[in-house]
Amino acid sequence: MRISKRVDDLAPSGIRAFFDLVLGMKDVISLGVGEPDFVTPWHVRARAIESLEQGYTSYTSNKGMFELRSAITAFLKKKYSIQYDPEEEVLITVGVSEALDLAMRAILNPGEKILIPEPCYVAYGPVVELAGGEPIFLKTSIETNFKVTPQQIDQAAGRGVRGILLGYPSNPTGTSYSKKELEAIAKVIRKHDMLVISDELYDELTYDFEHTPMASLPQMKDRVIYLNGFSKSYAMTGFRIGYVCGPADLVGAMTKIHQYTMLCASITGQMAALEALKNSAGDVQAMKKEYDRRRRFIVGALNDIGLTCHMPQGAFYAFPSIKITGESSMDFAKNLLLKQKVALVPGDAFGQCCRDHVRISYASSYDNLKEAIVRIDKYLKKK
Amino acid sequence: MSKVKSVPSTTVRAMIEVSITPQKELGFDSIAERIYSYPQVKSCYLLSGGFDLLVVVEGESIHDVADFVAAKLSSMANVRQTATHFLLRKYKEEGQIFKHPKNERRQNISY
Repeated sequence: MRISKRVDDLAPSGIRAFFDLVLGMKDVISLGVGEPDFVTPWHVRARAIESLEQGYTSYTSNKGMFELRSAITAFLKKKYSIQYDPEEEVLITVGVSEALDLAMRAILNPGEKILIPEPCYVAYGPVVELAGGEPIFLKTSIETNFKVTPQQIDQAAGRGVRGILLGYPSNPTGTSYSKKELEAIAKVIRKHDMLVISDELYDELTYDFEHTPMASLPQMKDRVIYLNGFSKSYAMTGFRIGYVCGPADLVGAMTKIHQYTMLCASITGQMAALEALKNSAGDVQAMKKEYDRRRRFIVGALNDIGLTCHMPQGAFYAFPSIKITGESSMDFAKNLLLKQKVALVPGDAFGQCCRDHVRISYASSYDNLKEAIVRIDKYLKKK
Repeated sequence: MSKVKSVPSTTVRAMIEVSITPQKELGFDSIAERIYSYPQVKSCYLLSGGFDLLVVVEGESIHDVADFVAAKLSSMANVRQTATHFLLRKYKEEGQIFKHPKNERRQNISY
């Protein structure tokens, strides 16, 4: 059957076959999961159940429940001192994935470009292409802790570049930026009159310093589309609730698309998200503490067994180099899976500059991590 | 060389209540020292209450621990009685909560 050129032109994913291989195997220790291993806190689940019992089964406003939008703006004001109007500057989406898609469709004309630091989340390139834009990848490496520099942005800006899509803390590298580093980036952004689509989904999982939202920097709020959600920090991936905050005209444009394509996010998910925002600060801190413990273990252990790994500042991923093996990341991942039954994600999935790396998710129990390291070590020694 | 050691997955831990006849002038210290000197003993505490020492022992199997109790601990002079409790599941240790979900509901791999 003929499919649209736009979809047909999307780069095929060689990773899909590897995923199928992993999903077909039993008794695998998986460090390949991009979601928390914690179950959603009970009081959040209880609120969802209770809302169903009370008959909350309808649509909500296209923009999302006003109470949730108000709670989000109050939260952002208290935590980061950013002020948004819940009526005009907030939209509740079906996860950050939808928000990302809406943002690209709302801002891009055919052929306009978006800068994307690479390695990056798998959807970044495709959402730009599906919106008719052109992604320009800015390659980063382990030598610079996978951080994009203001110079790279400065050199790539102009010539039809509409903005930059920046995800921090990063999936897959865990890299994040200090306030000082962000200020240097913001300066270049302002110089070239660009937008920032700022994916800060992992903001609560920042370990070594306080997270700084791009929108909180001086003269940046009006040029930032701030994306966040409940999936990672609150262990609520299945509820599919994200949100976008930004200038009223941009959020209005995104809402226009959202009302025709999604109508609204699930009311059950929104009810749960509201409960999480009100009463889950302690849960978030407890999960963060445990991720941090695992982070220190896994990065130390990877380096000990010979896989060079930078210390990620956030999220729950480590992104070690497997260069010493002489294998491509895909071959390494396949062989490790078949010989030692450990699953991880080949770096190829996150950009062409990542073929010497693999993504290791430490959203897995401490015991699993320990056993996985023993098995990876065995694999390396048998080579 | 790797610093990472494989932890035998069959490690067994037991909490052992030990009742002791204290020695004149030495009290419990001397017998406690004899007990905690064994490498199998990971912790040793003098407690108030119905018994005297709480001894935490690790071995590679239940039999390993049982042999230690029978051959070393119970037969020691001044040890009147022991009660061995094998650890079945860890819920929390040193402030760390260990959760045991009945089923892993996530897919094995995702972005």
